[in-house]
Amino acid sequence: MAVNTISAGLGELVVSNKVTDVLVAYGLGSCVGVVIYDPVTKVGALLHAMLPLHRNGDANKTKFVDTGIPAMLEEAERLGAKRSRLICRMAGGAQMLTAPGFNNVFNIGDQNAKQARQVLRKEGVRLRVEETGGHAGRTVKLHIADGRVTLRSMGQEEKDL
Amino acid sequence: MAQLDRATEKVLRELSTKGMHHVATGLSGMLGQEIKIVTTDIAIVPVPEVVERVGGAEEVVVGVYLIAQGDMPGHVMLVIPYSDALQLVDMLLGEPEGTTKELGSLERSALGEVGNLTASFFLNAVSAVTGFNTYPSPPAVMVDMLGAILNIILIAAAGAEPDIMLLETVFSGLERELNVFFWVVPDLIPLQAHLKGQHQNGG
Repeated sequence: MAVNTISAGLGELVVSNKVTDVLVAYGLGSCVGVVIYDPVTKVGALLHAMLPLHRNGDANKTKFVDTGIPAMLEEAERLGAKRSRLICRMAGGAQMLTAPGFNNVFNIGDQNAKQARQVLRKEGVRLRVEETGGHAGRTVKLHIADGRVTLRSMGQEEKDL
Repeated sequence: MAQLDRATEKVLRELSTKGMHHVATGLSGMLGQEIKIVTTDIAIVPVPEVVERVGGAEEVVVGVYLIAQGDMPGHVMLVIPYSDALQLVDMLLGEPEGTTKELGSLERSALGEVGNLTASFFLNAVSAVTGFNTYPSPPAVMVDMLGAILNIILIAAAGAEPDIMLLETVFSGLERELNVFFWVVPDLIPLQAHLKGQHQNGG
């Protein structure tokens, strides 16, 4: 069975119910990758959000955590996902810049992760596991066939999340 | 993003051309071999497309980031593919090609210095042309996936805006094959205010 990899670029959302699909967000730094999966209908989605809060009038909802998560839930439900069954995982939100003098300005990764937890709680979605923070970039993948989520950092083996 | 009017664009083109040549000359002197400009451009790029100007988001690169402060505030970034960064360290330390195998603290510090000098060469040229007094912050050196490193400059420079304006130059060695991406992202609003002030003062 040929695997079809679909990439969620910066500020993009990808949704699928095809068991041959693997959804991936490459090189998340301070961005967060939020993954949901319904094991019954095999509907999965991956959001690659860049900033915590939506700005009024911006057409691109999926660039922001606060509007991107509801948009992701809506798309997944349209494909048959049920909210109560969703398994949710999150990765990213690193602080890439650690040189002296830069620290306070660039903790956007932490803000992204906090915002995501808050929105998920409000939407009634339980976050099963997350690997956020730290200082390294991450690639996250969701296998639609079985809902497996894998994570990889530079120079490391892929592991399950 | 603030509008890039014709007058500002003209100034930026002039600064970019002069600044980047100054950088190429400075780097050639520092490395003891000729560094040439492959391309130089002012590009307005949708934020999600910046990554692919360099390569794949998962590709390991070295990023050197500096903040420009003063009359022309903005962001300065060098992006160097990992294997090219190893070559660059060999050149800096006067070692035969292939000597440097990994980037420890000495090598990272050397690459930070390249960032510092590159930014200074550029900003000094800008200062000579315009009288703008602009200076770089100390460099932050990162070794990681391209996408992760670029998050920083994209968020710092573009924020929630859909596009980013890059003064982009690609440098390459003549004797050794290596590419260095050099981006300057001036904050347009203070730059335009400064230009307007100069104009009103007859400058």
